[in-house]
Amino acid sequence: MSTRHSTAAARFLKDREQEKWHDETLWLVRAKRDKMSRSLPEWETLRNLAASIKLYSNSHLADLLEQFEKNAAGNGAIVHWAKDAEEYNRIVYDLLKERNIKRLAKSKSMLAEECGMNSYLMERGIDVVETDLGERILQLMHLKPSHIVLPAIHIKRQQVGEMMEREMGTEKGNFDPTYLTHAARKNLREIFLNSDAAMTGVNFAVASTGEIVVCTNEGNADMGTSFPKLHIAAFGLEKIVPDLEALGVFTRLLARSGTGQPITSYTSHYRSPQNGGEFHIIIVDNGRSEILKNREHIRILNCIRCGECMNTCPVYRRSGGYSYTYFIPGPIGINLSMLKNPKLYSDNLSACSLCLSCSNVCPVKVDLGEQIYRWRQQLDGLGQANPVKKQISMGLKYLMDRPKVFNTALKFAPLANQMPRFVLYNKLNAWGKGRELPHFAKKSFNELWKNNQVK
Amino acid sequence: MGSREEILGNIRKNTLFSFEKPSYEIDSIKYEDKLQAFCDMLKVAGGQPVFMSPDDDLDKLISRLYPDAKRIASNLPDVKCAVYNPDEIENSRELKNTDLSVVSGAFGVAENGAVWIPLNVKYKALYFISESLVILLDKREIVHTMHEAYKRISGERYGYGLFMSGPSKTADIEQALVFGAHGPMSVSVVLY
Ligand code: SF4
Repeated sequence: MSTRHSTAAARFLKDREQEKWHDETLWLVRAKRDKMSRSLPEWETLRNLAASIKLYSNSHLADLLEQFEKNAAGNGAIVHWAKDAEEYNRIVYDLLKERNIKRLAKSKSMLAEECGMNSYLMERGIDVVETDLGERILQLMHLKPSHIVLPAIHIKRQQVGEMMEREMGTEKGNFDPTYLTHAARKNLREIFLNSDAAMTGVNFAVASTGEIVVCTNEGNADMGTSFPKLHIAAFGLEKIVPDLEALGVFTRLLARSGTGQPITSYTSHYRSPQNGGEFHIIIVDNGRSEILKNREHIRILNCIRCGECMNTCPVYRRSGGYSYTYFIPGPIGINLSMLKNPKLYSDNLSACSLCLSCSNVCPVKVDLGEQIYRWRQQLDGLGQANPVKKQISMGLKYLMDRPKVFNTALKFAPLANQMPRFVLYNKLNAWGKGRELPHFAKKSFNELWKNNQVK
Repeated sequence: MGSREEILGNIRKNTLFSFEKPSYEIDSIKYEDKLQAFCDMLKVAGGQPVFMSPDDDLDKLISRLYPDAKRIASNLPDVKCAVYNPDEIENSRELKNTDLSVVSGAFGVAENGAVWIPLNVKYKALYFISESLVILLDKREIVHTMHEAYKRISGERYGYGLFMSGPSKTADIEQALVFGAHGPMSVSVVLY
C-alpha cells in the first residue's frame, strides 16, 4: 500500500460523515439509473441485445480489428498496435518525441491508467495534463482515481478548494463548486490552447467506418483535440463494435447506466485528422487476448466501463475505491484484477457479499458476482484458499451473522487485525451504526459457502 | 505496425467460441409527440429549446436570448448579428473570447435531447470554445431514438461529427452539477 493511498484513505475514514455521504451519494446515482431504465419499456431487451453484440464482437475480434484498421487508414488515420503497456507507452512517447512535443492535454483514459502512461511520459520530460476536472483535481493532489466514472467522488469540496488556492490562486476559503469549476475552466483553457498534442480515450471503435467515439460531459476531449496538430487516441481491443447501428444500442445504455443521464453531453465521432493535422490510433492488447481463452470469464470483455457496478455495490459504497488493491475498484475491478494476476490480487475477492446487485444492473450483462464466486472456488488452486477464505468468513459472514456485535467498537479491536482490507478501511461502522444492513444475499452466501456450489 | 501480427495471431488462437451477429431490430420507444419529448429531454440536459415562428427575426431572437453577447461568430449567412465569420480566421486559437457561436444542426433525438452536428464549420473548436451556443434546427427533423439516429447517419461521410445534448457539465466536485466545465455554459436550440 503506497503512502499516497494510506494518506487518502485515512482522510476518507477520519470523517464518518463523508463515509456516509459517499454511500448515500452513490446510491442516489444508482436510483437515477433505475429511473432512467424504467423510462424505457425496452430496457431489458436492450441489455440483452448489447450483451449479444458484445459476444459477437468479442468472438470476431481479429476480423473486426482488421476491418477497423483498413477503414481508419482510408480515413487518413495512422493505426498502431501495442501488445503490452510498455509498447503502448513507447509508441506514445515516440510520437511526441519525434515532434518535439512537450505538453500533452489528456482526456480520461482508463487504459492510460492501466499502462502507467502518465508517469512513463513525465519521467521523460513530457508535461501530461489531465483535463477532465475530476482527474485534474486528483493529479494536482497527487492522488489516483477512486471510481472509473466519478474519479474524485471521495474528495470533499474543502480539499479541492484548498488545493486550488495553492495551484490556481483561487479565493481563500471559497469552496463553492460552481466557483471552483469555473476557475478550473479558465486555468485549463490556457492549457488547451497551448498544448502541442491531445490524447483521448475511446468509448467505442467502429469497425465498419474506422472511427472512434468518445463520450464526455465536460467537453474536455473535444476542447483538447481542437487546437494541437496531433491527436492520439488509444483503446483496449475489446472496445470494438461492428458498425454504427450497434452504437445505437450502446449509447442508449452507457450514460443511463453510469450516471443516470439519457446521454452524455457530447458523443463525439472522430474519423479523419483535422485539416493539416495528424490522427494516430493505438490498438492495445495488454492481456486482453489471453482473456479470450478463459471460458468462465470471457464475458468480462463485454464491459463498457459505465461504472454502475461500483455505484450499486454495498461493499464499494461503504468502503471506497482505495480499499481495493487494483486500480479499478468495485465488482468489475475485482474481476479484472483476478484476470491480470490472481495470486497478487486475490484478496479483493473478499470485497463481495454475493448479493449479485452488480450482475442485475450491468448494461452489457457481465455476470460479475457469479464470476467472483467462481474465482473463490478456484482459490485452492491458487494456493490462496486459506488466507482469503479466512478473510471472507472473518469479514462478511461474521458481519452478516452478528451485526449487533459491531455496535460496540471495543469488541472489534482484537478482531480487526484479521479483517479483510475493505472492512478495515470501512472501520466497520457502516455495518452497525444504527443503519440498515447492506442488501446482502445472506442466505445464498452462507449456503453457497457451505455447500461449495452455486445454488 | 508494432505487434500487429502477434496480437491478431493470439486472438485467433485463443478465440474459443463464435457467437452469431444478433439482429438489431428492437421494438423501441415511440413518442406521441417527438418534438415535445425532444424539448423535455433537452431541458433535462440543461439546454433551452426556443421556438421561432416564420415571421420572427433571427437576429432579434438571438439578442433577446443573449443580450450581453458581443463577439458573435457564425458562418451562416442568415445570422446578421455575427461580428465575424469563424471560417475566415487563420488559426482556431483566434476563436478564444467568443461570447456566442451560432451553428446549425442536422436533426434532434427525442429520447435524449441531443442534436447531431456533422462538422459544418472550418474548426470544430467553435462548438466548444464560446461561452454560449445557439443551434438552429428544423423542428421537423426529430427522430425518436439513437437507433433511428444511427440508421440515418450510416453511410454519411463526415470527418468529425457529434451528438450534443445541452451544455457542457460536470459534477466532479461533490456531485454538485455545474454547467460550463470546458464547453459552452449555455446551449439554446432554436427550432424553426
Ligand atoms: S461491468 Fe458492467 S456495470 Fe460494471 S463498469 Fe462494466 S459495463 Fe458497467
